[in-house]
Amino acid sequence: MKAALYVNGQLRNVDAEPQTPLLWVLRDHLGMTGTKFGCGIGQCGACTIHLNGSATRSCLLPLAAVDNARITTIEGLSQDASHPLQQMWMTDNVPQCGYCQAGMLMAAAALLKENANPSDAQIDAAITNICRCGTYPRIRTAIHKAAAQLRSKEVSR
Amino acid sequence: MNASTPNLSRREFIVATASIAGGFALTVLPRSIAMAKAPAASPEINPWIVIGADDSVTIRMPAPEAGTGNTTQAAMFVAEELHCDWHKIRIEPVPFARDAREDVYIKKSGIWSTFAGGGTQPGIMQTMLQAGASARERLRLSAATRWNVPLNEVVARQGVLSHAATQRESRYGEFAALAASVELAEEPTLKRREEWRVLTKQSPARLHVRSIVDGTSVYGMDIRLPGMLYAALLQCPVHGGKLESFNFNAVRDMPGVRGYAAVDPSEPRKKVEQPAYWAHTDPSSAIAIVAEHYWQARQALQAMPIEWDYGEGTRWKSTQQVYEAVLKRLDEPAGEQVKAAGNARAFDEAERELIEATYFTPFSEHATMEPLNGTALVTRNRVELWHPVAAVMQALAITTEETGVGAENIHVHLPLVGGSFGRRVGCDDLRMVLAVAKKFPGTPIHVVWSREETFRQGKYRDLQAARMRARLDSDGLPQALHVHVAGHSPLLLGLENTAYTNGCIQDVHIEKSTVPMHILTGQYRGPGYNTHAFFLESFIDECAAKARIDPLEYRLRLAAKWPDPAWANCLKEVAARAQWGRKLPKGHGQGIAIANWGMQGKPHEGTTVAAIATVEVQDSGDLIVHAIDLAFDCGQMLDEDSVRAQLEGGLLFGLNMCLNEELNIEDGRIVEGNFDRYRMIRMADVPRVIRIHTGALSGHARYSGVGEVSVGIVTPAIANAIFATTGKRIRSMPFRRETRVT
Repeated sequence: MKAALYVNGQLRNVDAEPQTPLLWVLRDHLGMTGTKFGCGIGQCGACTIHLNGSATRSCLLPLAAVDNARITTIEGLSQDASHPLQQMWMTDNVPQCGYCQAGMLMAAAALLKENANPSDAQIDAAITNICRCGTYPRIRTAIHKAAAQLRSKEVSR
Repeated sequence: MNASTPNLSRREFIVATASIAGGFALTVLPRSIAMAKAPAASPEINPWIVIGADDSVTIRMPAPEAGTGNTTQAAMFVAEELHCDWHKIRIEPVPFARDAREDVYIKKSGIWSTFAGGGTQPGIMQTMLQAGASARERLRLSAATRWNVPLNEVVARQGVLSHAATQRESRYGEFAALAASVELAEEPTLKRREEWRVLTKQSPARLHVRSIVDGTSVYGMDIRLPGMLYAALLQCPVHGGKLESFNFNAVRDMPGVRGYAAVDPSEPRKKVEQPAYWAHTDPSSAIAIVAEHYWQARQALQAMPIEWDYGEGTRWKSTQQVYEAVLKRLDEPAGEQVKAAGNARAFDEAERELIEATYFTPFSEHATMEPLNGTALVTRNRVELWHPVAAVMQALAITTEETGVGAENIHVHLPLVGGSFGRRVGCDDLRMVLAVAKKFPGTPIHVVWSREETFRQGKYRDLQAARMRARLDSDGLPQALHVHVAGHSPLLLGLENTAYTNGCIQDVHIEKSTVPMHILTGQYRGPGYNTHAFFLESFIDECAAKARIDPLEYRLRLAAKWPDPAWANCLKEVAARAQWGRKLPKGHGQGIAIANWGMQGKPHEGTTVAAIATVEVQDSGDLIVHAIDLAFDCGQMLDEDSVRAQLEGGLLFGLNMCLNEELNIEDGRIVEGNFDRYRMIRMADVPRVIRIHTGALSGHARYSGVGEVSVGIVTPAIANAIFATTGKRIRSMPFRRETRVT
């Protein structure tokens, strides 16, 4: 099928079988490999993107379901790695192997958009992605720090 | 000058300068920078370092980055001596094909070209420090010559050469070409540790992190090449079975399908001399579908009728049957003696005061977040690899075996590696990639293992059972220890290397027996140790309980018999930090454990670690791990943040192994294929308190690896804490089977 996607603010036309998961449309048809393949069954969250603003796992999402949808991927989280989460991920050396981290960042960014001051329990509920290297404690700390930064920016406005 | 340092002749410079052009750059830096690569005209100041006219400093790495920070560490070694601008550093792989022709890198420097087992560190440290120092001196000598000033007045700092008296200043890039042609009378002496400004002082952001956060990272899975086709792979679901038949015609008209590759293990293959590191790498019988996109290949593979001859493995009908066979082996005479010290027959004489217990660990899967994959372009005389590999020399040998092409014609790119934990050292994944790609000569083939394929075609942590027996002396300490380990071959042990079995306990007798089985195993983070630290440290806790001595006090008395005070110091440090012995609420308890990874039975070697787990077992039986405290001694730390990251991560890896991991067997197959059945800890499962304490660091002159040591210590600490809380002794992983975990 021919489909139109708005990926990171740009219109992208795709021609693929309607059942092709969005993950593979992004990676193999559009060449955007920032969104990672981890499990293919919506368990690990490495493929998390924002679909019309909400954190969504793209590996189970068929192209047919996202025609005309607005999609944000890790490549579009900011222009220059300037999102407070991206900054904090770097200063706190959060990633180890890093393969899960695009999904982690997208899940965390969606959380902070909804909730500028998440509690530990709210982070637990929102970040259900898997990290094998065990970076969870650093992810939690970095989310808290980035949230504080976002709040102070809000105040100063 | 260190003997292992490349001894550079003028001829080598010329050869080197001529040979760096060309190739396809894929490194661990953000694409925008990494793709720039060292410009072809950049002079090679020595084989490890290229300084560009743009001041870029390109460092050639013999090992890939899999998250341990080894690449950043190598850059820190160079920066320490070169005094370059940190932000100008780039990383690219050693040109392995050239190394095979000219022998300037791996063998010459004695580097183990892997990041497994701490293997990147000792050789690389000396080599990279010397390469950095040598480059700096060449730059200084060049400036002194050109400016006609005394060498000792030329200062090299932050990528700038300067001469104060004449107020001259130049960037490194301006002198790079000249420096590459300079000959030093002798190689410079390295700085003393006290003079270091980077090492032990700084923890820079790891070099590969920027590309990870902005989405430009390139893992093996992300390789995209012109004309590349994608392959989906299926190996026989029962290890060792054979492909009987398949019907490609049934799927050849499906969208995008371009062909198939059947892999026949019995095809003749070249045999090469064994590389430094070797594990199971036999090809397995398999079928792959090749298509224009991965999803198409995967769909067609699933739709294709395939018949297998499952072979011998199907005689293992159930997990229970496997476990019973291994446990039963413990009742029979042992196959092989591993260690006998003191009066090894002590147990035949006295049966009183004997403590006996049987411990068990199941098969576990590495579950790297990046599923196995790889890309190869095979032609008759040349192979190009873009593979997330852990051990490059192993990869070269495997490539020669599978394609017949010699190392001098194998061109290796090292994309980022999405986790290895031992999985990617054997290179069976690469072998399968090549077995498929060689059927499509001239076309780059990107072979992807689904998550299910990755799970079911693993090289698992071996299954082991151990019968432990001890006799206590009049003070209540173990005087004699007898252990019989049975399990899957090859059995990876560990308890024969520890302080307890090399002096603390007088009579030690360790034996092992293997139970032949078709399931393939390999190295899993902290091989052997991840199992044996649990066996030994839980059993020692049983001895302490029998002797009615506090578990900390008991271990301190044992440690007093060991010449390395780090054992006692780690225990004291962690006990103080976790407030051992404080009054805890009802249903709460603490457990302690101590171990060492890498000591090989010797004091002042490897990394010693002591941990205390603070847990709660609720009336419902639910287990909550509230806190894990850890104290350690690796000698000294080169980069504290990296050490902390590895220890934290290892703790959580160990926690998952302890609580969750178990592969089941049904009719010879592995049951678990994905994370719906193979449970992993997630954010909500992580103990709220994880503390790494540095107070027990001895300052001894070594920088031992820290990637494995915390993996093994978690299980006994938690087992001992559960015992302290409930009186129940858990002797087999995963604990989830024996207690509810919340």
